[in-house]
This record gives sequence, structure tokens and C-alpha cells, in this order.
Amino acid sequence: MDLQEARGTLIEEARELLDAMENALLQVESGGDINDAVNAAFRAAHTIKGSAGLFGLDSIVAFTHTSESVLDRVRAGELLIDDHLVTLLLDCRDYIGQLIDAVESGTEDTDPDPTERASLLDQLNNYLGHPHASMGVAATVQADPLERDGDALNVGNHYWHLSLRFTPDVLRNGMDPLSFLRYLGRLGEIVYIYTLTDSVPAAAEMDAEICYLGFEVEFASEADKATIEGVFDFVRDESTIRILPPRSRVEDYIDLIRNLPESPRRLGEILLACGSITQAELDEILALQAGEAAGQPLGTLLVEQRVVHAPVVAAALSTQKQVQEKKGAEQKFIKVEAGKLDQLITLVGELVIAGAATRLLASRSADLAMLETTAHLGTLVESIRDSALDLRMVQIKEIFDRFPRVVRDVSKELGKKIELHVHGGDAELDKSMVDKLTDPLMHVVRNAIDHGIEMPDEREQVDKPAHGSIWLNAYHESGSIVVEIRDDGRGLNRERIRAKAVERGLINADAQLSDEEIWQLIFEPGFSTAEKVTNLSGRGVGMDVVKRNIQELRGDVELSSKQGHGTTLRIRLPLTLAIIDGFQVMVGESVFVIPLELVVECADLGSHDILHDIVNLRGQPLSFIRLRQLFEMPPPPAGTRESLVVVQYGQARAGLVVDKLLGEVQAVIKPLGQLFRHARVIAGSTILGDGRVALILDIAQLIHHTTHDRTTTLPNPGR
Amino acid sequence: MPAANLPATTAGSNLPGEDQQYLTFTLGAEVFAIVIDHIKEIIEYSAVTQVPLMPSFVHGVINLRGSVLPVIDLSIRFGRAATPVGRRTCVVVLNLEFAGETHAVGMLVDAVNAVIEIPASQIEPAPSFGTPLRAEFIAGMGKVNNQFVILLDVAHVLSLEEMSSLVTGAPAAAAAAAED
Repeated sequence: MDLQEARGTLIEEARELLDAMENALLQVESGGDINDAVNAAFRAAHTIKGSAGLFGLDSIVAFTHTSESVLDRVRAGELLIDDHLVTLLLDCRDYIGQLIDAVESGTEDTDPDPTERASLLDQLNNYLGHPHASMGVAATVQADPLERDGDALNVGNHYWHLSLRFTPDVLRNGMDPLSFLRYLGRLGEIVYIYTLTDSVPAAAEMDAEICYLGFEVEFASEADKATIEGVFDFVRDESTIRILPPRSRVEDYIDLIRNLPESPRRLGEILLACGSITQAELDEILALQAGEAAGQPLGTLLVEQRVVHAPVVAAALSTQKQVQEKKGAEQKFIKVEAGKLDQLITLVGELVIAGAATRLLASRSADLAMLETTAHLGTLVESIRDSALDLRMVQIKEIFDRFPRVVRDVSKELGKKIELHVHGGDAELDKSMVDKLTDPLMHVVRNAIDHGIEMPDEREQVDKPAHGSIWLNAYHESGSIVVEIRDDGRGLNRERIRAKAVERGLINADAQLSDEEIWQLIFEPGFSTAEKVTNLSGRGVGMDVVKRNIQELRGDVELSSKQGHGTTLRIRLPLTLAIIDGFQVMVGESVFVIPLELVVECADLGSHDILHDIVNLRGQPLSFIRLRQLFEMPPPPAGTRESLVVVQYGQARAGLVVDKLLGEVQAVIKPLGQLFRHARVIAGSTILGDGRVALILDIAQLIHHTTHDRTTTLPNPGR
Repeated sequence: MPAANLPATTAGSNLPGEDQQYLTFTLGAEVFAIVIDHIKEIIEYSAVTQVPLMPSFVHGVINLRGSVLPVIDLSIRFGRAATPVGRRTCVVVLNLEFAGETHAVGMLVDAVNAVIEIPASQIEPAPSFGTPLRAEFIAGMGKVNNQFVILLDVAHVLSLEEMSSLVTGAPAAAAAAAED
């Protein structure tokens, strides 16, 4: 593998591991299974250290090693993990993140933050400063015969035991057994090595290219089994490599003895020589082994033992299963460069357009066979489009996962107590939207923590739990994805917003505004009611930026609030920015496209009662707008049978009156560019089968205009 | 006139002291010229889609091999009558820099004439008054066959910044604020 590429993998992997470490540490705090969490954090740190070691990134190795040692002591129960330690470890994680960033930018030779490093190491060493002589304990325990750990029958060996029988062909295959041992030495300490020379023939018959040696190794290491196994990846297929973790169960040793080519007695002696087991342990193992030989099947023996140790076995099995499932999940993914996916989507877009052109030609030719083939082709193109777009869909969890840390850090800083509840993290949306959604969401959540949630004593005074809550929720709703951020804080203060808006000259002092209109004011540029400017928010560059970012994604923001009870902000976004199912309508000579998911039904306008701009649709009044009128086109020629398209966006409905309904179309969304960036009513454009451009209507704006802005006409500049 | 006396022109206009190639075209009864550097291609007028509720200088949008780009009616932009579409009507596609990106914009003209070279010595600054156009639209006056041709400053004539602020009637201040 190309070294640069391998470094890329290292960076990516390290970042994933750092995220895992962060999650684990946060879990410690939120009161999850502490052991699991600490183990996970330890494993993450350890794996980062290992990979960094392969690349000779000593700065990372040294630092991570110290962090890992602290975690190891927590794991061993020698250190109590408290809030302070979690904070320290989180800071360490961030610092390792900086080191990884430095590797990415190729500046790993200079420390990104030497002061931080020194301070962190200082604090870590404080934790390591009370030695419990953990390694010394091992020697004494080892002397005990069979140690009983809980209910399981364990051998009192604190080291890994490795039995290595390389295939005789190993040298011919171009590999040197010695190099594996040398490499193994980098993961820990080889305490004892016993070289098996039993199969070495007389000198005359010896073939220099055959490996006759076997090794029994006692190995002290903090690496996990997978890492140690990984050392022998290249020879594992042909060779016999057996690895027993420290304090393995007796059965494992029996199993080992049974599966190695040497006789049990001989193996026992070797194990004894290695210090893996004591004489007493050996006697007991051999007795058990003999019992099996005497006709009592080992299986029964094991079953009996398993019955005794059922909980232990169950636990072990479930752990094993989890590991397997995790591996399975990993294998389900292929990493693909984002650029390649974008290219694919672009090509599929062109395919959709070309397909539409073909279908158009076919329908003109009136050749039945041709029509049939193109129809089939059309179905295929549609499925390809859906699958291609699906490739870019990612779970919104990708963003949500960053929030526990943010909420923790910010609430700590402010002295607030906040619980974060996350739902719907598996809702999917386009990757390109995820990237652009992160900042606005971050801002909203920070706002909720900073301005929304009250201080604990303040909350208790109004009979609320001292712990504030923030809910992050995502769900799908009629072709959109909705992200909801809710808090149970103090809510928006109507009067203060109003006063501020008057002060800023946004509204007249005597203006009568509904709640909804008041809330909209906070989205005005430069509006901020925070009395105190904190370094988190309150600088007045806030909600207007959020709103603009969301609108750039063709989405919108909705806010509701009740004073004293909290605020809810809903962000509604389309699922994709690339290709949509559209519904074509015609107004005059122009073709317009309406996103199909927003179309509720179509009707003949003439067959319904109309009063002003309200139509009676099966007894229900529905406001409608004539697009011809809105777009300032001349009235339709007499005899035109106008059609009504009922559209819905969120909870709002309205009717659009058009000249003609043309049917469904796959619309590849083409941006309209800078010139039209302030354009309302038009959301984008698409290319029709005949090569002409059709405009995509912005239904949210149209509905808003139809139901709200009746009195004010749409801005009509330059004419 | 020595080249050093030429007016300072914005980026995207002709550089003083160099002989540049220009495309001349007809708009109404007049001939104008632009530096060829910005020109991506010239296409025949066809299939323009009108965009409703746009200022009238936005003639519409066209599909240029899969990308959608706006077409500006230069005549209206100059405060004159709309360009009538005829047999020789063309769209000159230009690449313009805006907000750090390149945008393709079409320019509607009555006819394109020729690509000519105008030596820097044959270019004079625009007179400070009495020009038929807004002064910033003019990069200079080129002398071709003893006649003056107005050299357009494309960056100003087709300023996306200015034009987009006119779209939807968003106040210019808000449009500028939207930049940051």
C-alpha cells in the first residue's frame, strides 16, 4: 500500500476512534455501564497508540500511552473515575485530535500546543503518581494453584500465552519467523520464550529452507487479542497460532494441549518451563485431560463445567457475539471518495435528462415497440436514480453525535445542569445537506443552553426540575425531513423582543403583532436580546445566519415558544438537493415543475364554486392563486379550462391555478445561480426532454404568499 | 496618446499597455466591443425560458449543455428598448468572476461582427460626460478605421452583485449584508 494512502487511513481511523473515546467518556458521566465505557475508551486510546507506532509517530505514541495508562488504572479499579478525570481525559482526547490534525497537514514534527501537552501530562502523571505496584502483584498470584475468579476455574497466569507452530514452508514463502517475534516485542514484553526443537532432524537430513522450530511465548502486553493476532496475519492461514489471554480458563489450556502436535506430558513441561502454569495446575490439567482420555468425553466435561459457570459462559458468549456483529457491520461498508459519488450523481442526472428526451422522441414516432422499450428504460433509469441518490444518504446521527459533548462542555461552563435527549438519529438525508446543517444546528443548541435553560436555582424557584432538558428530534414528514430542537427553559420573552425590535427600528412602537410575527423578529439581522454578551452567543450574529443557511438548503425554520415553558424550533428540509420527482404544469407558454411530494391532488377549477380567491373543495374552503395573475401574464384565452393543483407544505395548504396539467417528470435540479439568489417563488430549474429549461416552483413561498401576503403584492422590482 | 495616461480600469478589463483582441457586436444601431478573454462561446438564440417576476433586463434562462445560465438583455441594461429577436440575434456567453467563483452569463446582442485587434495606442479614456452609457460601463474608446467604438467594461456591465440586488427588489443594503 502506498504510504501516503496508509497515513490517510490512519488519520481517518484515529478520528473514528477518538469519537468512540469521546462517546465512551460521556457515557461514564451519564451513568451508563462504567466498566464497558472505560474499556471502550481504553481500547480506542490503545489502538490509536498502536497505529501511530507503526508510522513512527512518537509524539502521539508517548502522549497516548500516558492517557492510556491512566485509563488502565481506572480499568483495574485502582483509580476512581470522577467528573474531573472525565474532563481531563476529554481534553486529552481533544489534544490527540490536534496531533492527528497535525499528521494530516504534514506538520507532525512540531507540537500543535506544547503548553497544553505539558499541562495535560502533568495532570495525568498526578493520577499515575500513586503506584499500587500492579505488576508486582502478578508474581505472587502466580504461585497460587488454581485461582478461582468468581465461579470460573482459571489458571493464575498474568501473561499472554502464545503457541506458535510456523508452517515448515514459512521460509520458502519469504517470511522470517524471527521478524514476527521482533514485531511482537513492540506490542509488549516477551517475558519468556521456549524454542521447540523436537522436530529438527539429524544434521544430514536438514533442509535449510524448512522451518523446524516452534515457540511457546510468555508475553506481557496491554494489547487486546485482536491486535496480537494481527501480528501473525500473514502466516495465520498455514501456521498454527494459538493465543491464550492472561488468566485463561483451565479448559482453554486443555484445548491448547489437545490441539498441538506434541504430547500432553511434553507440552505440560514446556508450559511449566515458561511459567504459564504451576506444577499443581499442571497436575490438575493433566488429570482432567486423562479423565477425557479414559472415555469421559471432554464435551461432557465442558458441559458440566458450563452448567456450573453458566453466567460466566453466557457473558463470554454475548461479548463474542457483539464483537462478531460489530465486525459484520464494518464489512457492510465500502469507503468511497465523495467526489466519485458526486460525479455519479451528475451522470445519473444527465441520464435522466437524456432518457426524457428519448421518451419524447419515441412518443412522437408512435412506434409501439419503441414506446415499450423506452418505457422500460425509463423505469430502469428511475431505479438507478433512486439507488444513486440513496448512496449519498447518511443518517442524521452524524450530526447529532456531536451534541452530547457540546451540551456537556457548555453547560459545565455556565454552571447549568442539562440533559440531552436525542431521537430519530437514524433519519436519513443527503450528505451535502448534513455538512451544511451542522453549523446552524450547533448555533441553535448553544442558544438553547445559553439563553433558553435557566440556572438550577432559578428553575427550582418556579417548580421545575433543576435539570434542564434539550430534545433533539428528527423525523420525516411528506417528503421533507424535520429537525426539531426543543428545550424546557424560560421561553422567549415577547415584550423584550418587541422592545428590542422597536429600539432597533425594526417595527413601529404601536405595531400590532401576532406571536408568530414577534418570533420572526429574532431572525432579523443583528437582532439579539441577550443582556450579557457571552462568548457562546449573544453577539447578534445568530438566528439570521441560521435562517439564511437553512433557506439556502431550500428549507425553512419555524419557531414556537411559551414563556416559562420553553422553545421549539423546527427546521424543515427537502431530502435531497439533486433530483426530485416533479409534476409539470403549464402556464401560458411556460412549463413549471412542482415537487411531486407536495402535490395533494388536482381538480378541474371550473367544476367548483369560487368566491373571490377561495374555492369550495368538497365543502372545505381553500385559498388559491392564479399563477398567470401572480406572474403578471395576460389572462388566458377564452375557453381555457383552468386546473387547480392542491399543494401542501408542512401543515399549510393552498391551490395553484394553472392552464394545463402535463404529468409527472423526473427533475434534475439545476441551480439558478447567483443572479437569482434572492428570487422567491422560484426554487430552481430543471431541463426538460426537449432541452428547454423549466422552472421549479418554491411551494413554501407560494403557499405563504397565498395564505398570508394577500394584501401585500410580491416584490416586483425593476419594472 | 501614451498608454500611461489611460484610466485605471478594474480587473477584468483590458490591461493598459497591451494590444488586446476584441469582439465587436451590434446593439441597436451602435457597435460595441468587449475583450475576448471573458468570452466562453457565442451561440445562436433559441429556446429561452422566461423567469417570472424578474427585472426586465433578465431576458430568461437557457440550457447550455446541461447548465442553466441567465441571459441578460444588454439593451435594457443600457436603459434602451428591449432587443427584438431576429435572424442574427446571438447570445454571447461570458465567464464572470463573482464571490470567488466563475459564473457563466449570457448576453443578448443583435449580431456579432468580428474579432479585431486594437493596439493600446488606439485606445482613449472615456470622456467624462456626454457618453450614452453609465460612465463605469465604459472601459475606453477604441479607434477602429478612424471611428470610435465603445469598449465595454464587462465586470460592471454584467455585475452580478448589482444585478442580483435588483432581483426580487431586496433592498441593496440587505443584499450587501447577505454577503457576509
